[in-house]
Amino acid sequence: MNGNERQPGGWIDRLTRIDRRIIFLGVAIAVATPVLVPMGLPVKPTRESIDFFNAIDTLQAGDVIVFSFDYGADVRAELDPMSVAIWQHCFEKDLRIVALTLYPDGVGIAEQVMGPIAEQFGKEYGVDYVFLGYNADWSGTMLRMGESFRKTYPVDQYGRSTAEIPLLDHADRFADTPLLISLASSAYAEWWVTYVGGKFGQKIVTGNTAIQAVLIYPFYQSGQVLGFLGGLKGASEYEALTGRPGAATRGMDSQSTGHVLMVLFILLGNLAYFAPRRRRGSSGTGRTA
Amino acid sequence: MIPFPAWLDTARLAELVTALSFGTLVVYFVRRARSGVDIQIRRIPGLEAVEEAVGRATEMGRPILYCPGLDSMDEVATVASMNVLGQVARRVAEYETPILVPNRDPFVMTVAQQVVREAYAAAGRPDLYREGDVYYSTYSQFGYAANVCGTMMRTKPATNFYIGKFYAESLVMTETGNATGAIQIAGTDSDAQLPFFICSCDYTLIGEELYAGSAYLSREPLLLGTLRAQDMAKVAAIAILLLGSLLAAAGAFDSRAYLPG
Amino acid sequence: MKQTGPLLFGFVIGMIMFLQYFIPQPPFTVAYSLVLDWKQVVFGVSLILGVLSLLRFHGLRIRGRVSGWAYSVVAIVGFALVVGAAILQGTETGGYPWFFRTIQSPMQSTMFSLLAFFVASASYRAFRARTVHAALLLAAGVIVMLGRVPVGEFLAFSLGDQRISIPAISTWILDVPNLAAKRGILIGVGLGMTATALKILLGIERTYLGKSS
Repeated sequence: MNGNERQPGGWIDRLTRIDRRIIFLGVAIAVATPVLVPMGLPVKPTRESIDFFNAIDTLQAGDVIVFSFDYGADVRAELDPMSVAIWQHCFEKDLRIVALTLYPDGVGIAEQVMGPIAEQFGKEYGVDYVFLGYNADWSGTMLRMGESFRKTYPVDQYGRSTAEIPLLDHADRFADTPLLISLASSAYAEWWVTYVGGKFGQKIVTGNTAIQAVLIYPFYQSGQVLGFLGGLKGASEYEALTGRPGAATRGMDSQSTGHVLMVLFILLGNLAYFAPRRRRGSSGTGRTA
Repeated sequence: MIPFPAWLDTARLAELVTALSFGTLVVYFVRRARSGVDIQIRRIPGLEAVEEAVGRATEMGRPILYCPGLDSMDEVATVASMNVLGQVARRVAEYETPILVPNRDPFVMTVAQQVVREAYAAAGRPDLYREGDVYYSTYSQFGYAANVCGTMMRTKPATNFYIGKFYAESLVMTETGNATGAIQIAGTDSDAQLPFFICSCDYTLIGEELYAGSAYLSREPLLLGTLRAQDMAKVAAIAILLLGSLLAAAGAFDSRAYLPG
Repeated sequence: MKQTGPLLFGFVIGMIMFLQYFIPQPPFTVAYSLVLDWKQVVFGVSLILGVLSLLRFHGLRIRGRVSGWAYSVVAIVGFALVVGAAILQGTETGGYPWFFRTIQSPMQSTMFSLLAFFVASASYRAFRARTVHAALLLAAGVIVMLGRVPVGEFLAFSLGDQRISIPAISTWILDVPNLAAKRGILIGVGLGMTATALKILLGIERTYLGKSS
């Protein structure tokens, strides 16, 4: 697969065969060092993050929105800072939130995000926010919620009948909610757009891991998604916009050094790849494929 | 009695016309294929390599590992994966090579067990099928990846297949497979994972090449006919896109009026 | 009937779900609601199926003393402890959230963090500018990697009186060529999905019955 031809000896030859463990060690040092010695690199919000922020900021006090924790414990480092920043922003604006999750381990994550922030802002469960919990059938849940939140979730996560929850008197289906927020580590954000945005005309903003964020561009450009946050950078941009720098902003230093190191490794690998070929070319033996 | 016009949601008329047109294309080409018309598919290197990959495993006396992806049977990529698994399992049965199929979804596991069992029976070797080889791993994404990596390090399969829907765990598995020296063939419609598969696998089926997999390997007329219908629909879509772009560029209509919201 | 029954059932339910999208009137809307209800039940049952399969798999490994069977003991003991804690103490307090916070969450995050190392080693090994296409891919990858972090803002050049930064180029790459390619793939994949759905409806595709093509 590599196609390199080995030249006897030489440091350039060794550069083509750096042990993976050296690379792993380099990444570990590059990422850990800024944690110990913060650089405080400035974060500049992008257009997508500004649109996401505005989608929430332009809502009125008392509006009910839907928030879906569509991620598991593995991507908490990327998406928890987003969740925290968004919930703080929503409660600051006195928005009311109907929360749910499409991931089994999203329940624990949601509770660890919602509880402390609700307490911080003096919000009451059942009145200012409600957690409907986890439902195994994600597509059925999305479609059913378009008809009725209460019918989809007869009880909330804590076994309380949703018929008795005051918040749901004001919003029982997507037509009653001006915005849906999905923080997703997989294709759930796209499914919300396809099933709910397409069928019910729901306005949607999404927060995604950096890998998944690239997939949201077509939906953002066509207006199906009003704005999105991509990875830890997106979370740090949102923190900058809300004026509450947190875990994401702190993490940008490490992300910067990590990316720079990866670029250096790639350039090093290419230097090592091409150097033996140039030597063979100058000695008149021709270039290999 | 509800008047007839109220029966149809006219806002979705374009989608209905598209669906019916596409359905007509499929039926037409399936009938053509059934009538014996030869339908050609271009060479797909990843699928051509299946035979070689199975043979390699047999020569080395090592098993084959087949990961059918992380999603359930309602995902098209998983359906396509089961089709490819059937073809791979048939070849595996002929060569008497063990195949391991770890599953993340219990439904998929049930279907995979049936597919592999039938493939062994079709090859005349039902005795070789071992139910423990097609097993349920865990629903946890990275728990599944850890299980697959552990299996790779212990059993050292000669060939790894990653066919289906994958997410962030894909690179963890393929890099581990690389470290064990296995040939790796991947196929997915998860375009976020395609760069990782292309970097770390020997062959990669991109998007629709995965859906074409079962038609390619089996050469069944029905499947080939559907594939041709897909291609024709794509040609039509390209033509409409070009026409729309030209008209929008000429100012024939304001394309912004069609944006949602 | 064993073959025909499921195919007929699939066709009928599929047609109901297809028609209700275009005909928002009873009986289609009623049938649609019923299907969604049953879908939830089926999904719930599938989780039980998964649990039973897991226990059976590890039980067989322990009984047969297969290589690595001790790990199967760990799996079953872990399963019993978590389920027991949830049943005895509930899911809001006690052992169940503790297991999640202290064991599951850090373990899953750790596994995900391995990606950073694997991406670095894969990039080093595979990102070689062997051809023009590979060189373009390499250049785009480097620009986007630097453009997506704050340090990219410090990397810029002047073109006339305009300052062009790496993040700006990165945004263009994501907005134009990346978007075009993604749209193309999306359309192709969408057509493939539609074709597969149609094949399932018409009974051409029978993989879900365990029949490969």
